[in-house]
Amino acid sequence: MTRSLIIIAVVAALALVAGAMLDPRGYVVRVVCLMLLAASLGQCWNIVGGLANQISLGHAAFFGIGAYTSTILQLRYGISPWFGMLAGAAIAGVVGLLISIPTMRLKGSYFALATLAFGEACRIFATAATGLTGGPQGVSVPFLGNSWTMMQFRGAGPYVPILVGLFVLVSVVFAILSHGRLGYLLRATRESEDAAEAAGVNTLGVKLTGSAISAALTAIVGTMFAQFNFFIDPDIVFNPTSISIRAALIAIVGGVGVLTGPIFGAVVIVTMEEVLSAYLSNQAAGIAPLIFGMMLIAIVLWKPAGLSAISFSMRRMPS
Amino acid sequence: MIAFIQALIDGVLVGGVYGVIAVGLSLVFGVLGIVNFAQAEFMMMGMYAAWFAWRYLGLDPLIGAVFSFLVGFGIGALAQRFLIQRVMNAPHVSQIFLTVGILIVMENAALLLFGADFRTVQTPYQTQSLQLGPFFVSVPYLAAFGMALVVSVALWLVMARTWIGRAIRATAQNAMAAGIFGVDAKRVYMVAFGLGTGLTAFGGGIILSYSSVSPTSGAQYVVLMFTVVVLGGLGSVMGAIIGGVAVGIIQSLSTLVMPIQVQNLALFVIFIALLTFRPQGLLGGASR
Repeated sequence: MTRSLIIIAVVAALALVAGAMLDPRGYVVRVVCLMLLAASLGQCWNIVGGLANQISLGHAAFFGIGAYTSTILQLRYGISPWFGMLAGAAIAGVVGLLISIPTMRLKGSYFALATLAFGEACRIFATAATGLTGGPQGVSVPFLGNSWTMMQFRGAGPYVPILVGLFVLVSVVFAILSHGRLGYLLRATRESEDAAEAAGVNTLGVKLTGSAISAALTAIVGTMFAQFNFFIDPDIVFNPTSISIRAALIAIVGGVGVLTGPIFGAVVIVTMEEVLSAYLSNQAAGIAPLIFGMMLIAIVLWKPAGLSAISFSMRRMPS
Repeated sequence: MIAFIQALIDGVLVGGVYGVIAVGLSLVFGVLGIVNFAQAEFMMMGMYAAWFAWRYLGLDPLIGAVFSFLVGFGIGALAQRFLIQRVMNAPHVSQIFLTVGILIVMENAALLLFGADFRTVQTPYQTQSLQLGPFFVSVPYLAAFGMALVVSVALWLVMARTWIGRAIRATAQNAMAAGIFGVDAKRVYMVAFGLGTGLTAFGGGIILSYSSVSPTSGAQYVVLMFTVVVLGGLGSVMGAIIGGVAVGIIQSLSTLVMPIQVQNLALFVIFIALLTFRPQGLLGGASR
């Protein structure tokens, strides 16, 4: 636990220093923000995907709920995204809980399929419910000038401390879950559901708690993304590839089920995305995701015995 | 009432084609025990193959679909041999992410190669329909349904009457026992996977006769395809055909009561409910 907190503190401090030293309107600061967002998103996925080993391909559902809830509340009622964020987290937590009651009983590929379908259902709903969401045209966060209370700034610089806060929140929750009682229960459930059940673990309850927490945190990441990006539409925030699968990829690249996984993963993935889009920007749409797909295949073939095997070797290190 | 029966007719015709697309997915799962998330991308590939056969060889997509099958079979068999085979005994996580990786690669390779444009074909019968009393039967739907029937019968003959068909069924039932009788499981897996992706690509080819293709065509059909298969029971070939018709009818009837944009929403809800309450399929008898 101490080791985890030290890692979180070091990464947070590095990001804060970078944010303070770099040009607040510059490109590098923007990349730091993207990395913090990516690491937070991957860590949310890691709670369900890593600790419970339930492979979700539908986390975009919660990301989108977070992004839309705060943005709609702000547009319609002028409510600050700080409160919108909490509302989004609450809604996503409840939705995550409700959808998990039926789906969490499913195993392996069936769970992945059900979550994929759920994410897609949310995307279609957001596209069709024009009155609520603005439909496929999307909605913009109105720019009212730099403001901490409205969580919006012209350059990327001021977002760094906010996103570091998000990163710390998500990471500390993961560390507490991972080292605490729920983490052991989740892992026991992952290793053998029957054995855990026999030992008196309420396996469904444990998985539901984990997924509700993961969903609520993912919604917070979604709100912050909306504030950072100033524009959302159903295909951006409910996207199965660039949100759901990317969230899983970030955790997998760095190592599933460990705190450091999504941090490494975010640095690798965001760096690659930026390098690729810098060199190949307009001439070849699709080359960055193509390379991600290849990376995913390469990682799986490199460790076919189990992606979580990486995490086991890490966890045996003294903590 | 007339609108209801009309929707029923359209649903059955379109659903037959869904059956062919999904039968490939079902075959792959039944024999290899792998849920292939990339399956719909083979359909997209089949649509492109049929489009090129139409554009450069002047072939009707219903005939060009044979070309789609060959492309789908070839690429599928290679993908199985060099990628899928390595995770045959690996945990679900690896299988899921390998096929998801293949999905992303195929979709974006299509985007790089063919661009994001929607492509369509023109056929002489495209806008024709037959009138039966108060009802209309769309000729392209009917022709596609006919091809779907032909292929289903052909598949049934291959599975029931040929050596490779028997070997595939034997391996699906018990790979070790089949091995003792001299069936090379690795080869069966490769052929079965190729056959599965080839059939899905074929389905893509015939769908092209009344729709359009773009790199995201596959993504639009992923959930539909899985709904069909889960409805009929994962792994059951006959179930996939019946499931396809059922999904076609559900989709077509739901347009009567819901706006067209939420048409697929009904499917998703049914899909999640099915997975939850009857993961073995409504028809039961999954072979795996």
